[in-house]
Amino acid sequence: MINWLFEPVPRGRVAWLRSLVYLFVVADVTYFTPWVLHHGEVPPEFYRPVLVARLLHLPTPTPHLVGSLYWILLGTALAAATGRAPRLLGWAVFAGYAEWMVVAMSYGKVDHDRFAFLIALAVLPTAGPARHRDTVPTERGGWALRMTQLAAVATYFLSAWAKLRFGGPQWLTGATLTRALLRRGTDLGTPLTRVPWLLVGAQCGIVAFELLSPLIFVVGRRWGYPMVWLFFAFHLSVFATITISFVPQQVALGAFLPLERVPDRLRGLARRWSVRRRIDPVGYGTGGGPAR
Amino acid sequence: MLLIAGTVVGTDDDFPFGPFKMYSTTDRLDAPVADSRVEAVDTTGRRFVLRDSDTGIRRAEIEGQFDRFAADPALLGVIARAYRRHRSQAPPLTEITVIIRWHELVHGRPTGRYRDQTTVVWHA
Repeated sequence: MINWLFEPVPRGRVAWLRSLVYLFVVADVTYFTPWVLHHGEVPPEFYRPVLVARLLHLPTPTPHLVGSLYWILLGTALAAATGRAPRLLGWAVFAGYAEWMVVAMSYGKVDHDRFAFLIALAVLPTAGPARHRDTVPTERGGWALRMTQLAAVATYFLSAWAKLRFGGPQWLTGATLTRALLRRGTDLGTPLTRVPWLLVGAQCGIVAFELLSPLIFVVGRRWGYPMVWLFFAFHLSVFATITISFVPQQVALGAFLPLERVPDRLRGLARRWSVRRRIDPVGYGTGGGPAR
Repeated sequence: MLLIAGTVVGTDDDFPFGPFKMYSTTDRLDAPVADSRVEAVDTTGRRFVLRDSDTGIRRAEIEGQFDRFAADPALLGVIARAYRRHRSQAPPLTEITVIIRWHELVHGRPTGRYRDQTTVVWHA
């Protein structure tokens, strides 16, 4: 068990995951959750601090506080994405983003797509130094990635548990997806409400997928990667139908992937593309040109 | 352990260790499903649906604090103040209404019929 938790990974993988996670922090505060910045301007009567904010006596958000947090997060996350001072900058980003999340979730609505991402932010500072081209195996890095993987899978598995707790077994055959589509369905998703049996089938499929997600840890590499792509496909289909993206969860799923190989793959693709352009500069392909 | 405890007995208040309960409640296939919106009237008499970007408050956050608004509709004035901060050039609001649209379902299929229920009203 200990060996499994600390299974070494190349340091390069840790470095790439760090870059991905910290650049996502930048994208999140500027693009995905800009409404958090607006919370500073919301009248304080609307503030309903979650437990952790009350325990730590965190201040009520103001425009000045949230604005300062925004710029500090941008600066520290961009610096952390380079891989320098991973412990110092990593903890700074974790603390800043945790406060950003407290500001986000303390106004009556808590999102459930952040847990694995927050765990990634909490463990990456402990993963030790790592450069992007470094192939030396690291157990500390392996532990950090394993914790992120466990958190990502726990999010799926415990979501099924929550459905059984709050909705009961009848959740499977209820109209929850119909409600979601009526509330926020896309042009692609809304027509599905005319096929209720398909949505009931999808609900059964979702719970089965969530309950079986821990299998990713036992199926081995051959089936493990297809399972990760299945996770991504699930989120893509949810986004395409009801515009809920779960992007932070998807970033955390990066802990399952050999990220250090991505640059080589991209270079290979670019090389193949440029060779094809040289052989066939006009782009007609080999199937013959236009009719003369 | 915290996460499992949060899932078994916790609430959203325990963030980030609370239960992952988004869309975890059950809607019956033959009962109407609810879809809420917030409408506003400004000093020119214009009635419009308030968007999240008009106030900095998300629709789900208003739904999450609905019990407070129902108990004390004067609290909806908070939304009017948030609107003034966000849209300082726009005419102020004189009325805010939280409306729930109940979509009728038969055997899980929306019939296209619905009923709008005015739940909470605030006047300036």
